[in-house]
Amino acid sequence: MDFILDYYFDGGVVSENIDTLLKGFWFTLKLAVLSGVLSLLWGLVLAVLRQLPGKLFLPIRILVIAYIDVFRGIPMLLVLLLVSGGLSTLSAPIGGEVLPRWLGVPEWLGQPSPFWYGVISITITYGAYMAEVYRAGIEAVPRGQMEAARSLGMSHGMAMRHVIVPQAVRKVIPPLLNDFIALMKDTSLVSFLGLAEVVQVGFDIQTAEFNGSGLVFGALLFLVVTIPLARLVDWLIRREQRRTQRGAGPEPDDEDAIPPAPPATGMAGA
Amino acid sequence: MTTEDHTRNANTAATAGDGALLRLEDVHKRFGRLEVLRGVNLQVPRGTVTCVIGPSGSGKSTLLRCVNLLEPPNRGRIIFEGEEITTAKGNDIDRVRRRLGMVFQSFNLFPHKTALENVTMAPAKVLGRDPEECRAKGEALLARVGLADKLDEYPDRLSGGQQQRVAIARALAMDPHLMLFDEVTSALDPELVKEVLDVMRELAAEGMTMVVVTHEMNFAREVADEVVFMDGGVVVEQGPPREVLDNPSHERTKRFLGLVLEH
Repeated sequence: MDFILDYYFDGGVVSENIDTLLKGFWFTLKLAVLSGVLSLLWGLVLAVLRQLPGKLFLPIRILVIAYIDVFRGIPMLLVLLLVSGGLSTLSAPIGGEVLPRWLGVPEWLGQPSPFWYGVISITITYGAYMAEVYRAGIEAVPRGQMEAARSLGMSHGMAMRHVIVPQAVRKVIPPLLNDFIALMKDTSLVSFLGLAEVVQVGFDIQTAEFNGSGLVFGALLFLVVTIPLARLVDWLIRREQRRTQRGAGPEPDDEDAIPPAPPATGMAGA
Repeated sequence: MTTEDHTRNANTAATAGDGALLRLEDVHKRFGRLEVLRGVNLQVPRGTVTCVIGPSGSGKSTLLRCVNLLEPPNRGRIIFEGEEITTAKGNDIDRVRRRLGMVFQSFNLFPHKTALENVTMAPAKVLGRDPEECRAKGEALLARVGLADKLDEYPDRLSGGQQQRVAIARALAMDPHLMLFDEVTSALDPELVKEVLDVMRELAAEGMTMVVVTHEMNFAREVADEVVFMDGGVVVEQGPPREVLDNPSHERTKRFLGLVLEH
């Protein structure tokens, strides 16, 4: 029993390594927040491109659908390896230096290149997931909203920007947050490239000291962020349900309720 | 471009002098195999109210939706202010719609915006008008439809009748030259119908050109200059309300009015 407790819950091991562990988690947080924001934006761009109307934009719609199908369908680790390997090789002499070095081995804002390979790969992958979430939101906005906006002389783009997307985003905040939780956990894959994020640090400790407490501590750090987020999602969903249920059917003395169309009659206008 | 300009000039010449603000020539609309409009001809002179009546499925709503190009007609021409709009594309369609106000059966207010924001959005974003000016005008319009005290309410806090009046104010904010009403009282509780029709009556009295698809026969009788009875995708009969509603000459019109007016 003591062996088990010592292996997983050795406070001494954690406190010895607390600096590297927290530094690792700081990497995790930076990676998650930056990739999260970029994925949200990229996903929205993809979703909006997918909704472009008319024959003219058919090629764009097909490209977007193909993109989403591909990157939702393959493991992110694979994307990560292709991105990191590709960028670094293509900017090196062996790859013909097709790409400039600042792009092939990015070290922007003082962050190491594995960090940026991670940001790029996560954004590529989660952008595809989030595009689908946005699409569900956009398609859930009643058709009459687009018609009303267009009838006022708004272009398709204006209507999307001012009428459709704001309503769609409101509807999909809970599923987007769910995706963010998944995204945050997937940042650990960047350890494959040797980035000292929290899982990598914990694993190094485990390898060096034959003790898993660093990893358990890392798990706790994840939960400190993800559990409140999960509760926030629950709360948002409940709030949305209350709202839609209130509008769904007539309640006694509820002036807001819209009744079904009455039969045609000449009386009411009298 | 040249072909378009050419057509436009030809149309201007063709319509010069006849005074119609809106003219439909042989308008056809098909949805798949279903032919909803089978050649509709109609003229709407400036400053008049045209009420379109007819059984469900007769094509009256589709007709309105063709006029503001929400449904592009398959055949025929629609000429608005001397310009053929049926050939319009892209930005031209948006420009035509700015001169056409549309009010829908299901209100279609923007639920994430207040009553005032619903009214000011299009003038501010589409016409790029000064926000202060938009606000003042929006307040005046909402006051005009009797909602001066509801400026900052969101649509879900308003009754159906109030929402529909906001929708009318929203359409008026673009200073349309023609207002299209698509069964705007059909989704309302009976006691809320009057407040919406009263607003429309006032509009008509002020000289707004209106095309009103409606089941409100008393409204048509009282306000319309011209009543158009549609059935099966064609105009069966049209004329002043006293003729069409009180003394219809077609069997189909008689049957429809018999059904509608008897209860």
